[in-house]
Amino acid sequence: MTVSLYLNYKTWVHRLDGRTKILVVLGFFLLALCFSHPAYLLSVLALVLIGLGVAQAGVNVRKIWALAALLVCYSIILWPFFVEGKTPVPIFHVLGVTWEGCMFGLGMGIRLLIMVWGGVWLLSTTTIEELTQASQRLGLPSRVGFTFSLAFRWVGILLGAGVGVIQAQRSRGLDISSGSIIERVRKYVPLVVPLIGHALRQTNLLAMALESKGFHPTVHRSCLVTGKMQRPDYAVLIFLGFTIGMSGWMRWQGIGTLEIGF
Amino acid sequence: MSAHSAFYDPRRWWADLAGVWQDTRLIVVTAQIAAIYAAILIPFKAGIPIIPGFVELRPANAIPIVASLLFGPAAAWGAGIGNIIGDCFGTLGPASLFGFLGNFFFGYIPYLMWGQLGWLSSGQLPMVKSWRQGLEYGLICVVASGVCAGIIGWGVELLGLLPFIVLAPAIFFNNIVMGLFLGPPLLGFLYPRVQRWHLRYEDIRPSFVPSEQGADFYQTSTSEHDALNHGAEAQTNVPLLACREFSFSYATRTTPALRNITFTIDPGEFVMLLGRSGSGKSTLCYACNGLIPHMIPGACSGAIQVCGEDTRALPVWRRAEQVGLVFQDFETQLIGTTVGAELRHPLEYREIPLTFHKMNGRMAHALSSVGLDVDLDRDPMRMSGGQRQRLVMASVLVQEPPLVILDEPSSDLDPVSRTQLRQTLRRLRDDGLSMLMTEQDHDDLQLADRVIVLDEGNIVWDGQPAMLLRDPDLMRQRGIRPLALTECFENLGCDPLPLTLEEAWAWTEKLHLILDPPAEVVDDSVRIGKPASSRDGPTDPIIQIEDVSFRYEEEPVVQDITCIIYPGEFLALLGANGSGKSTLARLLNGLLVPIQGRILVDHLDTRMTSMNELAKRVGVVFQNPDHQIFADSVWDEVAFGAKNLGYSQEEIAIRVCESLLAVGFPVEQSGSLDPFSLRKGERQRVAVASILATRPAILIFDEPTTGLDAPETDRMMTMIRDLHRDGHTIVMITHSMRLVAEYAQRCLLMERGRIVADGSPRDIFHDSTLVSRASLEIPPVSRFSQRWGYTLLTVNEVKASLKPRT
Repeated sequence: MTVSLYLNYKTWVHRLDGRTKILVVLGFFLLALCFSHPAYLLSVLALVLIGLGVAQAGVNVRKIWALAALLVCYSIILWPFFVEGKTPVPIFHVLGVTWEGCMFGLGMGIRLLIMVWGGVWLLSTTTIEELTQASQRLGLPSRVGFTFSLAFRWVGILLGAGVGVIQAQRSRGLDISSGSIIERVRKYVPLVVPLIGHALRQTNLLAMALESKGFHPTVHRSCLVTGKMQRPDYAVLIFLGFTIGMSGWMRWQGIGTLEIGF
Repeated sequence: MSAHSAFYDPRRWWADLAGVWQDTRLIVVTAQIAAIYAAILIPFKAGIPIIPGFVELRPANAIPIVASLLFGPAAAWGAGIGNIIGDCFGTLGPASLFGFLGNFFFGYIPYLMWGQLGWLSSGQLPMVKSWRQGLEYGLICVVASGVCAGIIGWGVELLGLLPFIVLAPAIFFNNIVMGLFLGPPLLGFLYPRVQRWHLRYEDIRPSFVPSEQGADFYQTSTSEHDALNHGAEAQTNVPLLACREFSFSYATRTTPALRNITFTIDPGEFVMLLGRSGSGKSTLCYACNGLIPHMIPGACSGAIQVCGEDTRALPVWRRAEQVGLVFQDFETQLIGTTVGAELRHPLEYREIPLTFHKMNGRMAHALSSVGLDVDLDRDPMRMSGGQRQRLVMASVLVQEPPLVILDEPSSDLDPVSRTQLRQTLRRLRDDGLSMLMTEQDHDDLQLADRVIVLDEGNIVWDGQPAMLLRDPDLMRQRGIRPLALTECFENLGCDPLPLTLEEAWAWTEKLHLILDPPAEVVDDSVRIGKPASSRDGPTDPIIQIEDVSFRYEEEPVVQDITCIIYPGEFLALLGANGSGKSTLARLLNGLLVPIQGRILVDHLDTRMTSMNELAKRVGVVFQNPDHQIFADSVWDEVAFGAKNLGYSQEEIAIRVCESLLAVGFPVEQSGSLDPFSLRKGERQRVAVASILATRPAILIFDEPTTGLDAPETDRMMTMIRDLHRDGHTIVMITHSMRLVAEYAQRCLLMERGRIVADGSPRDIFHDSTLVSRASLEIPPVSRFSQRWGYTLLTVNEVKASLKPRT
């Protein structure tokens, strides 16, 4: 079973260096944090959507649109009750709801979308291997990067084994959808224990296999495949830097933020 | 009790946490905890929402606490990384940082706190078997859950995404419920096993300290090693591998696994190691590349040299360029997410790094050596089992070691993959690579230059493969199945006994023999004890498959299948991988529902019958028994199915006893025996017993002999035959033409989701074109007899049919 959002297309975004893509996503997050006004956040969201369009990541956006829509709804509904503003909303003013609060809720919903879809953009255009290599070149210790990619590899194996476990236990009459909360929770024991046992049985073998191939935590890992920054990378980073700089200045000037209290 | 007092010393916290990254096993445990957490997070949901659509009760939230009490700081890192991996399925963002931190502490606090709560501590192992342990566990749960919820809730509010007061209580509730209700039973099942496997944090650190006895032997062996090295320098023809009087006993066992092993391997030689399970084959492989004693504790004496150096002189990871090792479970060895990553990884840990150009050259050469023509970006999970096996071999060959050791490389492969492996081995042998390969069976024996037979840790035979193959008595004594053709000509005065079809035909000419099967052979009485055409009892079908189709997403897997199965039949489902056999089996017990057509099992339509009702009629024994075994004892494991179906305690006890007797398992030991501690063949029998406890009339076996050696295979098939004789209807999915020939009354041959043949094995084996199209091979015995126009299936049939020419 494969467990990646990566889409194997040949767009120019896919060809960007992994470090550039990580920095772009961090840039998206930073831009989202600069503003709280929905109108300004919409412009950041537009950037993210353009990025998703260029990367042809529509299929991944569709996979999580329901979750994203739900989170936006929660944000719009909940935040007005937790922030103070100047202009009360008719009928709901008894609950302390103000127009500024509603705007803030909408803004936070858009911020949430930026962050979620920004992450989807990165995962749609970057393989796990690229991601771990780029992270290492940005300072992540190689052992941590290796552990991350090893874990990712194992998720696929365990998901496949999980299907087998569910089928085997259902064939023996296990029904996890019936009973009280506590009964239903305990019914997960026959599902979880075989899966964990399956993984742990391999621990010694995997450690032996790794060292047999020359791996050791104390050995320096030389990165044999090193991406090089090309002109599109520099262009994107310059654009990003300019945008963040502008946004930072606007934030400092109080542009794009709402006047609210908590 | 926790073996540390780090709770009040933050410097010890950092030493513990940093120490995880200094040990290979702890890194592996960290990765596995992360993978377990993410893998359980995604598909398993309790269906009880806390924040509808966003937060709901998930069993995964018990994992950090349980893992923390088992694996200490490794669980902290694993839980944090696991949370990030879970976020990679669509919610990766800055909140993931707080998710990492929250889960990190969720996985660290229990380890820190257990045994450190003063008078509130239970002073016992981290399980929940007493009220004091329960109290301590509960308190730790509350604190750890609170810290996790607090960090995540605060962080998410800081980012302005959701209010703290909404998210934090939801996370806390989720963690507490799972921690309190799922954690204790998980700990109860896992702690004793992890302890037995020496995988607890306190077992792994410090790692792999040789026993005192081992140290004494090591001292003795060092002087032997020096003498050996001096001796080696004086010789002009140094063997590639030299094993001298090598003995080894595992730290946990009293009986030696290897006794005074002495042999050599010369450059370019291909040596095969044969022997039954437990004879010491894998142990010898581990010793040859230094895993023993560097990573496997025990007492050893004697010496093993590779390329003139004692294997104990350097750590294992420094020896990768001299000796490559392909483990039996090749899936475990795959660590990369792409073919390129898999091949690059070993090259990135060299002392002297390679240039980019040289690296590419090595990778291309390794892939061509194993006959693998795939893109470097290919995901290994999308490759067949045989291709993954060859990828693992390539990842070992990429270091260009002069010696490669392969531990039972074909045990889990289907026939097509075995053929590809055989071609690969032939290619590597012709290229001059030295190989040491272990096997339980004789299939690839003729590829080797030399064969060594191990039994109970001793070398009992060492010589040419052909000589061993011509001695079927010796092979049987050592638990190795002889060649069927050779067995046919035993006791006929042939010397040498034939190994190939040509030799067998030549002997029939020389001895003036013909093949003239008597009536009892033709009607299957010799093979299965009664004529195949006879059918005892009622003729009402027990399974009716009517024009059934099924597909996974858009891909058709089973198409237009129509078939009737009668009570008491022994039916084999044959076909290549992906032909739809396993899917058809899952349709029969209601795990899958047909998208077209219907299946009647004992006159019940599977589309409209609950799984519990179907479980009383159809039992499925899956290929991997480890996918279902979870209970504390064999008794509880076997009783599980019957308990789920709601039988009384008395009824369950009767059924469990009957089932254990049926599979030949001692009832009196079943209450105390841990099924996890059994060997694979025994675990498989426990799995069968657990199905029998529901008393289904139909038993479906999915590849029941995968991974079993010859004696265990015979035991398993004898048990299945006995169940058939007791009246069960048997459906067996298998690749083994030999098993079909010896046991099945009827065969269904499947190809691309359709049934292409339905008849007796004799009828199907008669059509060689049909069989080869399904990527299967007719057994040698059948090919031998087809010269006379007959299709015989077993050695006994041939023996009964060979007669002097009149």
